[in-house]
Amino acid sequence: MDLGAISAVQKYTASRPATEPKAEEGGSMFGKVAKDFAQTVAQGEAVAKQAMVGDADPHALVQALAQTELAVETAVTVRNKVVEAYQEILRMPV
Amino acid sequence: MSEFAKSLTVSASGLQAQSARLRHLSENISNADTPGYQRKTIAFETAFSAARGVSPVEVGRVSLDDRELELIHDPSHPLADESGHYRGSNVNLLIELADAREAQRSYEANLKMFEQARQMSSSLMQLLRR
Repeated sequence: MDLGAISAVQKYTASRPATEPKAEEGGSMFGKVAKDFAQTVAQGEAVAKQAMVGDADPHALVQALAQTELAVETAVTVRNKVVEAYQEILRMPV
Repeated sequence: MSEFAKSLTVSASGLQAQSARLRHLSENISNADTPGYQRKTIAFETAFSAARGVSPVEVGRVSLDDRELELIHDPSHPLADESGHYRGSNVNLLIELADAREAQRSYEANLKMFEQARQMSSSLMQLLRR
């Protein structure tokens, strides 16, 4: 019985590192994605401004806007998923 | 940059190239009656950019068609020589119109690919929604 308890403790300590969050890795990756997103949106805005004063090619405008739309759609979907998961956790009976 | 964004970039470059082609065609057509005008042709090239990993098309050098200029008989024309002939342009309107139609078809194909990439990415995101 004692042996069983010891092995349970050992297994618990062995499995702990696997479930621990890797803070810096996940954080930096999310930061990179956010930076990419912000860059895409900013580029779309810049091209749209240029097109309004007649500088940019209309093809470049359409391309930039389509890419911005794609990025915003992805971001909104991810945000919805995150909020949904958070609410799911809040509803957990304690 | 995702694959969808890359295909959007390539399609946009195709659209740009075809509109440049159309510009040169309209220059040829509008100068069909200009004496001494040589029709312009353009070449398409692949512009591979290793940094972005895509190979969009881009417009190469403009070259002049050096076929013989048409000899027109008009003694009253200020450019006419002793025999009453002068050199017109070597633009054949039929060829230019056929080329313009080809440019239009190619433009439409690129437009369809653009739309396709956008739709595919949109439906992928639709999977995550309820």
